[in-house]
Formats: sequence, structure tokens, C-alpha cells
Amino acid sequence: MSTPIIDITDLSKFYGKARGIEHINLEIGEGEIFGFIGPNGAGKSTTIRILMNMIFPTGGSARIMGMDVIRDTKKIKMQVGYIPSDANAYSSMGVHEFMNYCIHFYQVRNGEQRISELSELFELDLNRQIADLSLGNRKKVSIVQSLLHNPKLLIMDEPTTGLDPLMQSVFFELLRSENRKGMTIFFSSHILAEVQMLCKRVAIIKGGKIIQLENIDNLRKKQLKKVYIEFGDKVNKENFSISGIESVITGPGNTLSFMYSGNISDLVSYLSGKMIINLMIEEPSLDEIFLHYYKN
Amino acid sequence: MNRNLFLKEIRRNAVSLMIWMIVITILIVLTMSIYRTFMENQSKIVGMLSIIPKGALQFKGISNFNDLLSVLGFYAANNVIYMMVLGSIFSIVLSSNILLKEEYDKTAEYLLTRPLTRSDIFLSKLAVLYLNVFILNLVTSVAGFICMELVKKGPFSIRAFLILTLYTLLLNLLFGAIGLFLSTLVKRAKPITTFSIGLVLIFYFIFTLSKITEGAAKIGYLSPFRFANVDAINPAYTIDLWHLAYFIGISLLLTGLSYRFYKRKDIYT
Repeated sequence: MSTPIIDITDLSKFYGKARGIEHINLEIGEGEIFGFIGPNGAGKSTTIRILMNMIFPTGGSARIMGMDVIRDTKKIKMQVGYIPSDANAYSSMGVHEFMNYCIHFYQVRNGEQRISELSELFELDLNRQIADLSLGNRKKVSIVQSLLHNPKLLIMDEPTTGLDPLMQSVFFELLRSENRKGMTIFFSSHILAEVQMLCKRVAIIKGGKIIQLENIDNLRKKQLKKVYIEFGDKVNKENFSISGIESVITGPGNTLSFMYSGNISDLVSYLSGKMIINLMIEEPSLDEIFLHYYKN
Repeated sequence: MNRNLFLKEIRRNAVSLMIWMIVITILIVLTMSIYRTFMENQSKIVGMLSIIPKGALQFKGISNFNDLLSVLGFYAANNVIYMMVLGSIFSIVLSSNILLKEEYDKTAEYLLTRPLTRSDIFLSKLAVLYLNVFILNLVTSVAGFICMELVKKGPFSIRAFLILTLYTLLLNLLFGAIGLFLSTLVKRAKPITTFSIGLVLIFYFIFTLSKITEGAAKIGYLSPFRFANVDAINPAYTIDLWHLAYFIGISLLLTGLSYRFYKRKDIYT
């Protein structure tokens, strides 16, 4: 990995006695599209808020492009775009007024042209008042403002909430295109399918701690398989035990399904003495992998 | 300080400032417009005022009924409530919201992710607060001055008028600092407008009580209003350096603390 664009070391945040995040370590390389997944309350937004200097850590440190997120926040933010999870822009402003306000914080050449290009791409009406916009359109405002200054790093916290599938697809295509031009993307979400579509590497956060850091492909390839078996006679799941199986569910008829993380040949040997009508072994979805890590 | 943020905040507060300026100016104009009628019926009105307890007049800076016969005495006694109380309410409402509004309106995520330090944000908003309070005081004082010039029966001390204006400005700025300070103490974002207005009224009530009740004279020192001398008609009327130090000292202290707290504040939306 090249020099990390985000370098988080032993980062912790406690709200009084309540845990926000605990001893998080993370390195994200330049040009990556990195997924940060976990359910609500896992610590995703806390981590992002520390990176954006909205809140202060109680321990550890974080650096972006080699600069400290607290001391060098101004320099960092010149090169960072941010899409918040809540699309609450200044409701008293018009869309165009808000874009102009945002772009004036940066030294952007052809700012007006950039506003027009992005607005057209997202079919965003610049003449409307922000207060009159639907959630989806407010989200578009949020996306457009984050990209106006051609940031080197884009940090997104649940960016697709409220976007219709068509706009999600436009958005993802734009992200891929910006990534090809060199933009690093940090994508926090609890929607695993969209992370799977876009990201190359992913961290799973649970209870304020990173429990898995993996390439998306490796995560899928890790011996975890989803297995369906239809037996010829009645089967009792309590009697069905082999090392590496989890989440055993009895289905209709004489079927069982489970997640299997062991060696496939061991499973086949184990099944060889049983009457089997049908056997399916398939790749689990990222959701299922995610639930698997969560349960563990 | 950031120019872009400063200009946006100026625009954002322009309507509110305009409304407050118009309302206070109208009140001053209406009050001063009765000065001539008051002078024409002075013997009857002074007779009526003589039944009012002395303390009740004192809190308005009237040490003698004859003070009211002077245009400056009339202005000081009748407009103090508009310029000092309403000006302070404007100031504390603006200051208690100027930082906090970004949090409870959930726009802080846009503001804090711009290339700005907390100092840039604080100083830009502080400048907006000072400019708004200054403009309000300037416009209402000029309106008061013009009204006095139009209705006066004789000359009045411009020096005393300027001192009165300075006390009003200092009082308004002190309440601005109080509002700012309170807003930085709020952990979970919610408006504190009602509390802030209540605080100004409580201080004014304490001041009033201390003036009309001899036994409560000392509690008046709890209220900033006590340090804004409105007895403009008194020949010895001047700026009390201790009072000046009180206003400037407390304002600077609260502003400094607010700055310190805001720089380290966890901001949620």
C-alpha cells in the first residue's frame, strides 16, 4: 500500500462512560474505494466525525494525507469532500446560493461551470429553495456540494439515503469515474450491497471496534459457504454436527440450511453416509457474511 | 475570520436586524413625539407623577421630576426600556443562536467540514454579532438624536447623550457575551432563546426591584443594568471607569471563555 491517505492509530472516543469507538486502527491508501460497514451505533459516524474534526477523540490519533486531523484541519479540508448522513442544508437558502456559498471556501477555477455540470448530472434544479426540496433532492444537494472543489478524498456517511435507484446508479458511476482520476473514497454505510458494488476493501465495525478488515473479494472467498441440503428422510438438526457449521436452520420438508466455514471435502465426507436428495453450496451474500461476523 | 462565512451570516441576520431596528425606532419616535404635549401640560403631568413612589421613577434614571422637562431627561427616562432592554434581548437572542443554530438546524456538518478552523468560525460569528449590535445601536441612537433635535425646547448635552449611548452599547454587548457563553455550554443542541430572553428580563426585574425597594438595593449589583447609568441629566453625569471596566471585563472574560469552550466542543447534529 502507498502512503496512507487516512491513517488512524489507536483511536478511541468515549461519551462519559459510554463507548463510541475503542482502539481503532485503520490505514487507507491513496486511490482506494474503502467501505466502512456496521449497523447503527457501531461507531461509523463517530469515526467520521473525528476525521472531520467535529468531535475530539479521547485517545489515539488520526491523520489525513499525513496531517493531524485536529491541528491541520483547515489544510485537510481544502482537499476533502464530505457527504453527511443527514441532508440538512441551510433551508433559508436557494440551491444556487448554497452552491456558491460552498464553492467560495475553495480556490476553484470555473466554479460556476462545475456547479452546472454536477447539477445537470443529478438533475438538480438550481433555482429552487432548499426548504422546498424533497429528501432525495436535498441528498443531491449534499452530493453536489461535496464534489464542487474536486477533492482528493471523499468521505461519505450513508450517502445514498433518499436517492432513487436511477440516481444511485448515476452517483456510483460518477464515483467510479472520480476514483479513476485519483480520488480516494471512504464510504460508510450499513447497506452492504452498495458497499459490495463499489468498494475494493472493507472494514466491519462492531461495538466500536473493527472486527474485520478485508478485501471484498477475499471476504467472499473466505471459506464461508452457504449450504442447503434436502435429505431423503427426516433430519434432526441437533444430530447434525460437524466442525465449522453455524446458523443451522430447519426448512420445509427435510431441508437444512447453514453457513459452513470448514473444508468442503470434510463436509462431503460427513454427508456421504446420509440419504441426500439435493445439495447446494453457494457464495453467501455480503449481508450473510456480515451477519456471520456479527454473531461471532 | 472568514469573509465568506461573515457575509453569509450578515445576510442571514439582515431581516431580523431590520425588524428590530424598525420596531425600536418606531417606539422611540412615538415616545419622543409626545414630548411637546408633555411640556405643554407639564404642571398636570408633574402633579400626576408626584403620586408615584420616588423609587419607581429612580429606576428609570429620574432623580427629580424636573428631569423630565429636559429633552435628554425625557429621552433617557422613556427610551431606556426600548434601547437597553429590547437591545439586550436582540443581542442575547442573536448571540445565543449564532453558533448553536448550526447545531440544532443540523447545518454544522456543512460548516465544520469547510476549510475553516474553529477560530475562523467563532471570530466570523463574533464579528457578525458585534456588527449587528453596533448597527442597531447606531440607527436607534441616531433616530433618538434626530427626534430630540426635532422636539427640543432648548439645548441638551451631546456629551451626556453619547455617554448614555455608550452605556447602552456596552450593556447590549455584555448580554451578547452572556448569550454566546451560554450557547457554548449547551451539550445537546436545542434553542435557548426563551431562556436567554428570560435572563434579560430577570436581570431587569432585579434591577427594578433594587431601585424601588430600599432593602433590596444591594441585590441590584447582581444585574448588569445596575452598572448602566441613565441619569443623563445629572450635571455630574460621566463615564464611571469602574463600570466601564465591569462591562468590558465581563464581556471579554465571557467571550474568551466561549472561544476556549467552542474550540474544544464536540459538535453533534
